[in-house]
Amino acid sequence: MKKKLLSLVLCIAMSATMLAGCGSTGSTETATESTETTETAEAPAAEETTEAPAEAATLDTSTPVTLKWYLHGSTVNDDKAVMAKVNEYLGEKLNVTLEPIWGTWGDFDEGSTLAINGGDDVDIYFTCSWSADEYNSFAKKGAWVRLDDPETNLLANYGSDIWNITPEVLKTGAEIEGSDGYGVYALPGFKDFGTQNTWDINVTLLEKYGYTLDDIRNTDYYGFGDILKTVKEGEGADFYPLLVEGAVLERMVDNSIIVNGDAGSLNVLSYYIDPTDVSKDLGSKIVNKFATEEYKKFVEQTREYYLAGYIDPGCANKQTANDLRTATQLDGKYLIGTQSYALGYEVQASAERGIDVAFVPCTPPYVDKTSTQGAMMAISTASKNPERAMAFLNLLNTDPYLMTLLEYGVEGTHYNLNDDGLVVFTKEHDNYQPWRNGMGNVTLLPPQEGEGKDFFTKVFIPYYEGAKAIPAFGYQFDPTSVETELATLANVGEQYALALSVGSVDPATALPEFLDKLEAAGMSKVVDEANVQLDAYFANEQ
Amino acid sequence: MSKNAQMALGYKKKRPFNAVSVPAEIVINIVMTLFCAACVIPFIFVVIISFTAEESIRQIGYSFTPVSWGVEAYKYIMKLGDQLWLSYFNSFFITIVGTILSVLICVLYSYALFRRDFKYRSFFSFFSFFTMLFGGGLVPTYMVCKQMLGLSDNYAALIVPLLVNPFNIIVMRTFFQSSVPEELIEAAAIDGSGEYNTLFRIIVPIAKPGIATIALLNALAYWNEWFIALLYVRERAKIPLQYLLMQMQRNVEYLAKNSANMGADAVAAASKLPTQSLRMALVVLIVVPIAFAYPFFQRYIIAGLTIGSVKG
Repeated sequence: MKKKLLSLVLCIAMSATMLAGCGSTGSTETATESTETTETAEAPAAEETTEAPAEAATLDTSTPVTLKWYLHGSTVNDDKAVMAKVNEYLGEKLNVTLEPIWGTWGDFDEGSTLAINGGDDVDIYFTCSWSADEYNSFAKKGAWVRLDDPETNLLANYGSDIWNITPEVLKTGAEIEGSDGYGVYALPGFKDFGTQNTWDINVTLLEKYGYTLDDIRNTDYYGFGDILKTVKEGEGADFYPLLVEGAVLERMVDNSIIVNGDAGSLNVLSYYIDPTDVSKDLGSKIVNKFATEEYKKFVEQTREYYLAGYIDPGCANKQTANDLRTATQLDGKYLIGTQSYALGYEVQASAERGIDVAFVPCTPPYVDKTSTQGAMMAISTASKNPERAMAFLNLLNTDPYLMTLLEYGVEGTHYNLNDDGLVVFTKEHDNYQPWRNGMGNVTLLPPQEGEGKDFFTKVFIPYYEGAKAIPAFGYQFDPTSVETELATLANVGEQYALALSVGSVDPATALPEFLDKLEAAGMSKVVDEANVQLDAYFANEQ
Repeated sequence: MSKNAQMALGYKKKRPFNAVSVPAEIVINIVMTLFCAACVIPFIFVVIISFTAEESIRQIGYSFTPVSWGVEAYKYIMKLGDQLWLSYFNSFFITIVGTILSVLICVLYSYALFRRDFKYRSFFSFFSFFTMLFGGGLVPTYMVCKQMLGLSDNYAALIVPLLVNPFNIIVMRTFFQSSVPEELIEAAAIDGSGEYNTLFRIIVPIAKPGIATIALLNALAYWNEWFIALLYVRERAKIPLQYLLMQMQRNVEYLAKNSANMGADAVAAASKLPTQSLRMALVVLIVVPIAFAYPFFQRYIIAGLTIGSVKG
């Protein structure tokens, strides 16, 4: 009897957790909606009262205000010394007390989305195209204040300093369709916003076998065979010269790029760019990339390399591929790898790996909408002081003192300046390390030791300002009407895409199977929808 | 049992009358040894990994016989310094205070449900049972806890959400029903004992095994909880040990997941994160204290298993 009762109770308990699981998503949405309605109801009222002074565009700083600021990727154990100085400074300038919430890599996604959905009184959120509080989707949900709203126009009134010096591509990249119409919903940070995929070359090993970097530069993926063969033979059977990240390799070889808005693990939609001139219009059509000749050629070549033992079978294991890549890189046990490049990375990589590392680009750096939305600051619709929040962002991104203080800490405590005026970190820095690209305009900072004196002015800014935009730069795919198809496609892709792009399955059988399943899952519907939207976009542009 | 077999095994004493046969005993012992090994070996493995040098992990992966040993992980942990001791303290504080409070609430609640003369018995049974079937969902729970109850960046945030556990209440009530005769309460009442006196001086001593079980379950729940800390605690000084470990783990996973989007930034950030052996060393630090709680409670749990039947 007791046993029966126990089993009954256990059954109920289990089904309860299942129900709770289903229940939570449902109630999450309703909660979001309810907070939205209250917010939208309150927001205009709050804005109306400030409308009069807003027209004069002078900030009313008579009342003290506390701003809460949710950041991403920080390693901050002790911010007391920094915040004391920051608040002293901000108190004078804007009558603001700043309360940062130092989100870490691991907790930001859950923490920020809950805070937004739960209506926490956070004023400014970090947002971007890849974190969980994704810029586009939360703008549609009404989580962000539209910054260039014609009625309030926070940007023009309180943020003109930073907006005037923001590069044009970043401005355009930030324009999206949101809850209050097409406009800017967050302030983009001036960071490494160009994308450039490169071959990550172990020069030490390359030169050991009598090759030079020019041998890599003068050929492409399909011509690596001889070099790989020589090195493989020289280094032995358990050495794998090609160290690849499947999805990145495919993009590098085929010159395909991700279409903004096509979320999910598969990235079924692809746009092709000319590897020599990224802004050249190639006919501007979106295609099913897996059905192209280029893709077929690519997977066949990869299969050949895989069978020859050039690619580690571990790269095909989704769970551990990344750990394997990092470990192998640090050991320097590879010849050619794939890397999405950031300026100056070879110095760091060479130091970490104890070998001479060089990056050979496949294309010049290009700018697409996803990369311009790489790090942004949005003002929450739950904020009671959006004007002051905007003024703070404006000051942060134009005032080198404030930026340096918040990013590097207190001079003499967290860092020192050497004779060249370069930043050398002290031991205290371990306790205060915000994420540099997640803070704002990095070009205001003094360069760090190793970056060189004129790093930002002579290297960084020209490099990224010279990056060209892709042809359909402003295009943004709206997946709403094909969301079911995209989910099924992602499942199919999970099964095949990685295995094909590292060569662990035979494309002769797997590729046709993959294409059939994609078709059955509604691939053409998605592609058609994307092209309709793309045509509409181009028609609008002209 | 033949005499020969006893001689062969070198037994001098007479075997107890309820002993099982020797072959059966051998089989049972082997099975139990294997089972124990299956429980203990993973932990020993974790300890070995925590003492493995990082180069060894890179070369041959996890192994019982690493190429080289090292204590870098523990040295690094010592460098965590204040944060480690603070988190240790937090974990202990939360576990001790939380366990005492939640056991108290559980006993009071289930005792009331156990008493047949309690008028709203069925309502309160249903009231707690209902929450097992239907949860409020994450966002509403978050809003109630954070905005209505102010559970944010304080110890209460780590203790209150786990205080009442309907499952434990049902277990405890069933325990009362099976081990406490109602005549005892009547007898106590006739002898002039008040309600609190009856509960704490007569019922609780009888129910010790049940209470110990509940206490162990609660202590484990508090010690292992990290999700609540993720939701409500941002201040580094207040995070428990378990979350300190989870944070490291989640950082690593997040960077791996987003490496394609973040490019070199992810690699740079990942290189600052703790190594494999460090994470294992933290597991050791987390497991050791709570492992000591088991022998302490074990006495009562075994007692609880054996007292089911009616005595004298």
